[in-house]
Amino acid sequence: MFRNVSAKRKGAAFVATAAAAVLLMTGCSASGSGSSGGSGSGSASDTLVAYTGQAGDYQINFNPYSPSTIGGPGEIFEPLFYYNQLQSGDPKPLLGTEFSWNEDGTVLSVTLRDGVKWSDGEDFTADDVAFSLNLLKENPAVNAIGFDGEVAVVDPTHVTITFPAPAFVNGPSILGRTWIVPEHLWKDIDPATDVVAEPVGTGPFVLGEFKAQAFRYDANPTYWDGEPELKHVRYVALSGNQAGADALAAGSIDWQTGPVPDMANVEKNYPGYKAVTVHMNQVALFTCSNAELGCEGPQTDPAVRQALYYAMDRDQINSLAFQDTAAEVSPGFALPERDAALLSDSLPEQTAPMSPDVDKATQILEAAGYAKGSDGIYAKDGVRLAMSVRVVTGWTDYITAVDLLAQQAKAVGIEITALQSSWNEWTEVRGLGEYQLLIDSVTQGPAADPYYMYNEFFSTANTGPVGQSVNPGFARFSDPEVDAALAALRTSNPTDVESRKPHYDIIQQKIAANLPYIPVLTGGTTSEYNAAKFSGWPTEEDLYAVPAVWSRPDSSQVFASLTPTGK
Amino acid sequence: MSYFVRKLGFYLVALWAALTLNFLIPRLMPGNPVDVLLAKLQQRGGIVDAATRRSYELLLGGGTDEPIWVQYGNYLVNLAKGDLGIAVSVFPTPVSEVIGQALPWTIALVGIATILSFILGVGLGAIVGWKPGTWLDSLVPATTLLAAVPYFWLALILVLIISSTWQLLPGMGGYDVVLSPGWNTEFILSAIEYGTLPALTIVLSSIGGWLLGMRNMMVSTLSEDYILTAQAKGLRNSRILGGYAARNAALPSIAGFAISLGFVVSGSIITEQVFSYPGIGSKLLQAVQNSDYALMQGIFLVITLAVLGANLLVDLLYGIIDPRTRARS
Repeated sequence: MFRNVSAKRKGAAFVATAAAAVLLMTGCSASGSGSSGGSGSGSASDTLVAYTGQAGDYQINFNPYSPSTIGGPGEIFEPLFYYNQLQSGDPKPLLGTEFSWNEDGTVLSVTLRDGVKWSDGEDFTADDVAFSLNLLKENPAVNAIGFDGEVAVVDPTHVTITFPAPAFVNGPSILGRTWIVPEHLWKDIDPATDVVAEPVGTGPFVLGEFKAQAFRYDANPTYWDGEPELKHVRYVALSGNQAGADALAAGSIDWQTGPVPDMANVEKNYPGYKAVTVHMNQVALFTCSNAELGCEGPQTDPAVRQALYYAMDRDQINSLAFQDTAAEVSPGFALPERDAALLSDSLPEQTAPMSPDVDKATQILEAAGYAKGSDGIYAKDGVRLAMSVRVVTGWTDYITAVDLLAQQAKAVGIEITALQSSWNEWTEVRGLGEYQLLIDSVTQGPAADPYYMYNEFFSTANTGPVGQSVNPGFARFSDPEVDAALAALRTSNPTDVESRKPHYDIIQQKIAANLPYIPVLTGGTTSEYNAAKFSGWPTEEDLYAVPAVWSRPDSSQVFASLTPTGK
Repeated sequence: MSYFVRKLGFYLVALWAALTLNFLIPRLMPGNPVDVLLAKLQQRGGIVDAATRRSYELLLGGGTDEPIWVQYGNYLVNLAKGDLGIAVSVFPTPVSEVIGQALPWTIALVGIATILSFILGVGLGAIVGWKPGTWLDSLVPATTLLAAVPYFWLALILVLIISSTWQLLPGMGGYDVVLSPGWNTEFILSAIEYGTLPALTIVLSSIGGWLLGMRNMMVSTLSEDYILTAQAKGLRNSRILGGYAARNAALPSIAGFAISLGFVVSGSIITEQVFSYPGIGSKLLQAVQNSDYALMQGIFLVITLAVLGANLLVDLLYGIIDPRTRARS
């Protein structure tokens, strides 16, 4: 839930309370304009209207490698395989049909689908795949996945990629997050700066029409898997979060991701609509934890972080801040549902306690040499356990959570003060490490494997000293044993779960003992969709794709699976 | 002639100061575009690691290792060439293109609203001032009340009543999204329909100032000798009102109007936010939210130039209309 919530709340974060009210009330107008505009734009029974939280105009950009792309990955430009971040298992074949690694993970062989055509009628071949991968290598500015392999075309349906070092873990980003582009059109353009106003891809949809306030995908009649039943998808721009909820109430959008009021009763409040919640990202108190890398403050002591961990009343936070959409979290940061097989048995508890344990928290503090002062706050060597926690102005659920945390911490003798700041400032101090605590969520990697999250947030390679901007090693966590375990995971095949488990055990133990990110809950991402107008949506029983409208390439999997009901 | 040369010289210095401030202020703000874009990507389920950060730095030129005076020099040189840079929030669109798309909306909406408000305010002010002390005077407190009410609140109330409850006019957006922007009747009518409510709120909230100023000038002008002369000559009242009193009383308002035209370009952030209007104000907000320095600078530059230009025009006109300003200097 959080990522999309925050994206949409940015507006409110930067305008004063007054303007937040503005947004709120503007929403009221959506029902008026929505229904009038809707008659022309959204009511056709084979057109799905999607709202991604886009506030303000779209600027045309269908370059899948551009950071400001507005669309294309998945719908127009397909990867070789589709990796579902929510379910482990084999990826779904798209442009590739099968792949295999050699023994030590340095050679990846991919078999490509035969008979695929680009939407301009040209044939798709292995040369296009080689071209797309080499494009990354030759243009470091678009090489966001750090691709460093050598591509060889064996025949029109086979390529092999040779890597200088074992690259098992790079598989999902190469196979699942590299958008295959047509060589015959892309060989003349600069992939870093071209906006690809007329995208040609192999995907299930083609660009129908672009306007600053909306654009439309049309079903690709020559798609290799057959023309999708869903004929049109229209993306609209509204003015923000509340406008989205009101457009939903007016029935003028069919799919949006984000919280709405009274989330437990979506089906009653929005007739015809249903909601689905997935738990992917761990909400945590990020701490600047490592004094060796320049962090300052009481939170650099692991005992303080442990005490905070036990001080939390997670049930209360879930119901008051998150409308009960969040779920349990593991102190070792594996996802309790998805990564159940990898959860370490040696953790003190598999999931964090949902109710506070004041005795245990105070015990930990006293064992570490803290003594309670006359004001009820623990102190050691004259330093009180008083810390500030950064939260972004306008992110109401996090603000509520932080206020609750402050009360709960007080009960164990720790003082926490919420410090609200603009999103820009918060982003800056987070990157530089110039904070004590902040609330944010830990995000997952390109496949259903916790390796990526561990590597991104907990490895020495992704962090740096305070004062140097890093992303995402915000907590400045650095541990040689974790680094060694991550290195070992890089050289073993992800399908070999048994040999990988001991390494995951080490990582989880280290993290749970150190708690550089103090887990709060696993946040829920809730989407509301029009189940009366279309069937085939991902549900909690069948999560064939991440059901978030802004998630690429997952949205294309959903669109390709939907069938208009004709209503 | 030296009067005009001096004036122009002064404006050149003012322009340089504005450009320098324009360069400095965005750099004092927290955040840099690379981190903001990465954070946005993370919120949308994107994968971020050290390699991603490196590629973004390369792409956006995030590394500002150059000393600040070199950056300042480059900034002035590029400005002279008309190159405002790339807007990183909508990379790789040039700033001039972003501004070019937004500016017409703002100029049309705020410009027309300002002109309407001026004409109505001055016209009503003249009539009210013509008969001070009658029931017409109640227009003054009524309109100043509207001006005193916080703008966003007035706008929201109108949206609630006219757009949500009565459903007379759309309260959101610049045009019906099913239409294609272009010079065709259907689209222009739609743009007018969508612009009516925002324009109405601007007129309502700004008319009071014009009306009050004009009314007071009318009252003092009516006591002038030439009005008495005109009445003694037996001229029709309408002729005295239009040709003698209002014409003189409107002079200060016209000067004020010229200056407020300069501010039209800056648009109204709140108006555009309330109505999701695709103008310059919403682009400015977007620039601030994304630490998009180039876009911010470009917009500030356009605003600065418009305000300075309007002021210069008024100054020069005054030099021609009123010889006393020239003589004194």
